[in-house]
Amino acid sequence: MQFIPEYREDLPRVERFNFVSRMTHWGHTVTFILCLLTGLLLFMDGMDWMAPIFGGFNGANMVHRVAAVFMTLFIGIFVVFDFKGIINWIKDILRFGINDIKFIMVFPLEFLGFPVKVPPQTRFNGGEKGNSIVTPTCVILLMLSGYIMWFPMIFPAGLVRISYPIHDLAMIFATLMVCMHGYLGSFHPGSGESFWGMWKGTVRKDWAQHHHAIWYEETYGDKTKDAE
Amino acid sequence: MANKANLYDVSRCTACRGCQVACKDWNQLPAVIEPFTGSYQTHEDTNGDTFTIIKFFESEDPVTGVHWNFIKRSCMHCLDAECVKACPQGAYMKSPSGATIHDPEKCIGCQYCTYACPFEIPKYRKREDKISKCTLCADRVEEGLTPACARTCPSGALTFGDRNELLQQAEARVKYLRKNGFPRATIYGKLELGGLNNIFVLTDTPDKFDLPVNPQPSATIGFWQNWVQPYFGWLIPLALAGSAMSFVTTRLLANKQGEHGHDHPVEGGHE
Ligand code: HEM
Ligand code: HEM
Ligand code: SF4
Repeated sequence: MQFIPEYREDLPRVERFNFVSRMTHWGHTVTFILCLLTGLLLFMDGMDWMAPIFGGFNGANMVHRVAAVFMTLFIGIFVVFDFKGIINWIKDILRFGINDIKFIMVFPLEFLGFPVKVPPQTRFNGGEKGNSIVTPTCVILLMLSGYIMWFPMIFPAGLVRISYPIHDLAMIFATLMVCMHGYLGSFHPGSGESFWGMWKGTVRKDWAQHHHAIWYEETYGDKTKDAE
Repeated sequence: MANKANLYDVSRCTACRGCQVACKDWNQLPAVIEPFTGSYQTHEDTNGDTFTIIKFFESEDPVTGVHWNFIKRSCMHCLDAECVKACPQGAYMKSPSGATIHDPEKCIGCQYCTYACPFEIPKYRKREDKISKCTLCADRVEEGLTPACARTCPSGALTFGDRNELLQQAEARVKYLRKNGFPRATIYGKLELGGLNNIFVLTDTPDKFDLPVNPQPSATIGFWQNWVQPYFGWLIPLALAGSAMSFVTTRLLANKQGEHGHDHPVEGGHE
């Protein structure tokens, strides 16, 4: 059985993500998962067996905080060194329109592997646009509430009390998204090719044409060549 | 064993702070020296190495003149304690005599309990990265002794004993005080939060002693403990199950419908 679609060097490829966004994406992915595993120790009762992996609960706390700081750093690096990329990303999210709604409506079938007709998509499809709003919002909430929980003595008590449910709810919604997102960005036969975009930077040209037709035309299409 | 409580009678306290010293002594707590702030109060609040303090309040009433109140502050040993419920490590338990005791071995210093507590009593002890607080001298009580503070009190302001008996005593005292110059005298800790094992006889309303009038468990902490923690987490296995299902169905459907395109670049596609 095939897991991630094969990386085809023999076929034409186009660039999708630059080095900074790739490096920071995997940076915050690893630190997010570390935070998640160490955080779940406290959140769930049945996780105690995992504590020794991190050197007990106090060790897990330490891992949680070190990973949190690194995650903050990766996100900071992304913002500082790929500011233009972020602006373009936001611009693309703001293009949310009828094609994105159609995409989201047929997505459950596409997700399960039924052949469906999908309208042409911009750089990020309707689902990715949703993910681009929900996950980063939750991560920002995780960071804000997390630092408040780390240094509760310097914040008003009411703020500390509300940070606990916020940290947990943001963790739950971010993890819910990341579970599907990580799967779609790797093992899903349809969208799995995007993994290479995030890993090596390029995706197959034909895949880009099929999955992100509008983006492909605007970036690599004939019109852009004419303009050159 | 029945609940054993500490009764603190403000009208008998002379603010000698013997209890404060006895507590330090028995629990072998190092001195914590805070700068002088112009008040008789030794510390701004209880802290990781100071389980009990006498708080001082000065207030001026246009009719009755200047009042100088003091009150002993320490863990209230609530019968239904919030810290016991909030702690993710199960570090808190109720002793047979009803004291709320905290096991530093289990504590990881997350400080959830500090903010779950309606009185913010559990205090962070930085040098150990753990919480500490008054134990109502559960170790002494187990041996048939009274808590160090109650044993020391020279004026009879602190009495340790059976909670129900002390409540009767307190009520009689409040009646007496109301007739003798303290019309607003009241009892605190009988019904508050379902009952406390620290009962107070106050000469005035609780707010004059910086005690919350009708304290309630924090609603946000309750929402977190009663809703978010037990139920919302199920969304995560749901997402995992969805992805696992898709992993199987995408591959089954691809086999059944011949090539659905994705595995075959160039020729394939969505259309
Ligand atoms: C800047 C980022 C973050 C900071 C500063 C932070 C900080 C904290 C702190 C201080 C705690 C309290 C427990 C302790 O002392 O260890 C905590 C708990 C927790 N964190 Fe984070 N965290 C961050 C990010 C995350 C992320 C990304 C996740 C998961 C996706 C996460 C999940 C959790 C969970 C599940 C708990 C346990 C909550 C409970 O007991 O109900 N955190 N975090
Ligand atoms: C679990 C492993 C993960 C894998 C395999 C993965 C894979 C990918 C891939 C392939 C893309 C590019 C999608 C495209 O071509 O447009 C991407 C984008 C992105 N990733 Fe991840 N990712 C993972 C974890 C995470 C985590 C933990 C976060 C954040 C907490 C995250 C946040 C994002 C965001 C915001 C985007 C851009 C929006 C989107 O495409 O949905 N990813 N990821
Ligand atoms: S600080 Fe210690 S006692 Fe308080 S809730 Fe956290 S683990 Fe429990």
